[in-house]
Amino acid sequence: MASVKLSGITKRYEDVTAVDDMNLEINDGEFVTFVGPSGCGKSTTMETIAGLTLPTEGTIEIGGRDVTDLPPKDRGISMVFQNIALFPHMDVYDNISFGLRLRKYDQEEIDRRVEEAADVVQLEGMMDRMPSEMSGGQRQRVAIARAIVRKPEAFLMDEPLANLDAELRVHMRTQLQRLHRELDTTIVYVTHDQAQAMTMSDRIVVINGGVLQQVAPPLECYNEPANRFVAGFIGSPAMNFIEGEATEDGVESTYTQIDFDPDAHGVTPGQDVTVGIRPEDVHLERNADQADAPTKAFDAVVDVIEPIGKEVNAYLLFDRDVEASAEGRGEGQLLINLEPDTRIVEDDDVRVVLDRENVHLFDRESGDAITHSLE
Amino acid sequence: MTRDDRVDAAAENAAAGDGPTASVPGTAHATDGGVTDPSAGGATEEVIDPTANEPDLDRGIIEAWAAKMITNPERAYRATFYVATVFFLVTTLFPFYWLFVVAVTPRNNLSDVGVFIPAGFNPGAFVEIFTTLPFHRYVFNSFLIATVATVAVLLVGSLAGYVFGRLDFRGRSPLLLLVLVTSFFPPAAFFIPLNRLFNTNVDVLRPLLSAGSLYNTPYAIFIPLSAIFLPLSIFILMTFYSQIPDGLEDASRVEGTTRLGALFRVIVPLSAPGVATAGVLTFISVYNEYFFSSLMTDGRPQNWAPMLEGILRFQGEFEVLYNLMAAASIVAVLPVAILVVVAQEKIVSGLTTGAVKE
Repeated sequence: MASVKLSGITKRYEDVTAVDDMNLEINDGEFVTFVGPSGCGKSTTMETIAGLTLPTEGTIEIGGRDVTDLPPKDRGISMVFQNIALFPHMDVYDNISFGLRLRKYDQEEIDRRVEEAADVVQLEGMMDRMPSEMSGGQRQRVAIARAIVRKPEAFLMDEPLANLDAELRVHMRTQLQRLHRELDTTIVYVTHDQAQAMTMSDRIVVINGGVLQQVAPPLECYNEPANRFVAGFIGSPAMNFIEGEATEDGVESTYTQIDFDPDAHGVTPGQDVTVGIRPEDVHLERNADQADAPTKAFDAVVDVIEPIGKEVNAYLLFDRDVEASAEGRGEGQLLINLEPDTRIVEDDDVRVVLDRENVHLFDRESGDAITHSLE
Repeated sequence: MTRDDRVDAAAENAAAGDGPTASVPGTAHATDGGVTDPSAGGATEEVIDPTANEPDLDRGIIEAWAAKMITNPERAYRATFYVATVFFLVTTLFPFYWLFVVAVTPRNNLSDVGVFIPAGFNPGAFVEIFTTLPFHRYVFNSFLIATVATVAVLLVGSLAGYVFGRLDFRGRSPLLLLVLVTSFFPPAAFFIPLNRLFNTNVDVLRPLLSAGSLYNTPYAIFIPLSAIFLPLSIFILMTFYSQIPDGLEDASRVEGTTRLGALFRVIVPLSAPGVATAGVLTFISVYNEYFFSSLMTDGRPQNWAPMLEGILRFQGEFEVLYNLMAAASIVAVLPVAILVVVAQEKIVSGLTTGAVKE
């Protein structure tokens, strides 16, 4: 068990900067998830922690020890890989004990530890199977057993669930959380799936374009995103954005106008701002009481309805002339999230209100959050 | 009847059949779509045999046979497979058989040696080759030189193959090209400079080698031959090593090996078929090599003259002992034959365990 500290980590390939001046401290025993779109540098960051890639600049400490120049094997870490990476020419026992055998543990100790690790991931009785004879979930469990058997100071997991089918993924997700609770070890987890990040982590690290965007507990990232990127990336379905301009008494856009006191929220009249509102914070006018502090109502027309069971997603257009984009988001469009029993049909004219408590404002130029509530 | 049954039946028919099979596969392709599993059910019944609805058609024997092949192309493929196999077996094994015929022909009957049946039977030739000359020593020389060369080539080739196949660095392609270009030279081009070099007395070698030069030592054969066959092995190994997923090497390094350890513990075992191929090719090439082998020593067995030199020693000034040469050739082939059989098992097992699956 150990803390992990990145100071000024930068990784440059010929003309691409994959990771840019990353500073991060991961506490002992913490479950931290790196999340971001593919190619954002989250895997590269993890590889620098593992020692598989050397950073161009910066230092890495694990448990207070500077490991920047140490090879992976001497860093006291273990890793679970996206493609599982079991050695195909070794059976389960040999796979799990690989690291121990290389470290010349005596046979009894190896047997005891392998058994213990296999017990944790429920692999008893499969010791002489070859990886090719196992299912995806079993292989994943072997990979996890191989990682925990050495009792490392920190686990690194690089999209370990990406290659599993949806059902197994959810199952393994809970398994991993249980494992974290049992082992109480520092876990650094990489995923592009914000749902995994939200459900499992103590803190999530949102990365985009090699730059750290926000480091915070999941709900803080959800409720108080640091900038427009985090707001759009965390949460599914994603937040609606409406481009507008701050005025003397609120914010005005092509189809909406929200009243508030600009001074109280640090907005200067004339400033270009982006209004962010999550789909569940938009309500029909007739249900305006569901919002703690409704804004005034706006006209809209229902474009597409997606009943999901526990809720209904409705894609609205602010005006019949708005051309709906393929993904149903964008200027003049609004995705809202309604109670499952809401009576609503396509092509209806509706009036909607926003919940002022959950209206986010972002500076359009920098993308930084200005406020997370207009109350 | 299942599909497998059908194939087996086809094989039997084909094995028993004869005639111009070569023309059939081409026509069979066109009707591929019409061939369906008979067990598939009634709906497709008609398609199985286009002739089923015209039972009255009068066909000659060849026509009927061709129609059968068209409706059931598996048979035709089987038949061509057997014809081709028999052809290759005859062309490769017959010379070997004839070598045996010559070997057992007694010395006095050599002038009227037959093609299929030896003129007389004298298995003593296989003993005589060891009594007339220390032929075993020649074979041992070749075997040892080939083994050492193979080990050296695989070791150096693995390191080079790893670098070329798995690392990305500036100048990788030109360097690889340079390595390959050296293998395009005719080996004989290297002979004169090498011969001069190996005949030069080098003082530092004096304590190690009696004469102080490499001539008449196994190194004079092993060094140039290893170098000549190295590029091919590098190329083969590079191709195999580059196929191993990066994740496996990363996993190995995280688990506790260095890059070198990952190469020999994970990448090499998973590339067993490639390593076996490179190894067998190198071994056979060095073992059978004649040009360097015969010119880098004076031809005496104690001076590491190789196996081919031994075979040629059976031709004297006045007489050529063809029967002994033939017997020696057969004996000389044995180590290689054994090696190939063993290695082939490795290759097959390497392929069937699905080692490089992921």
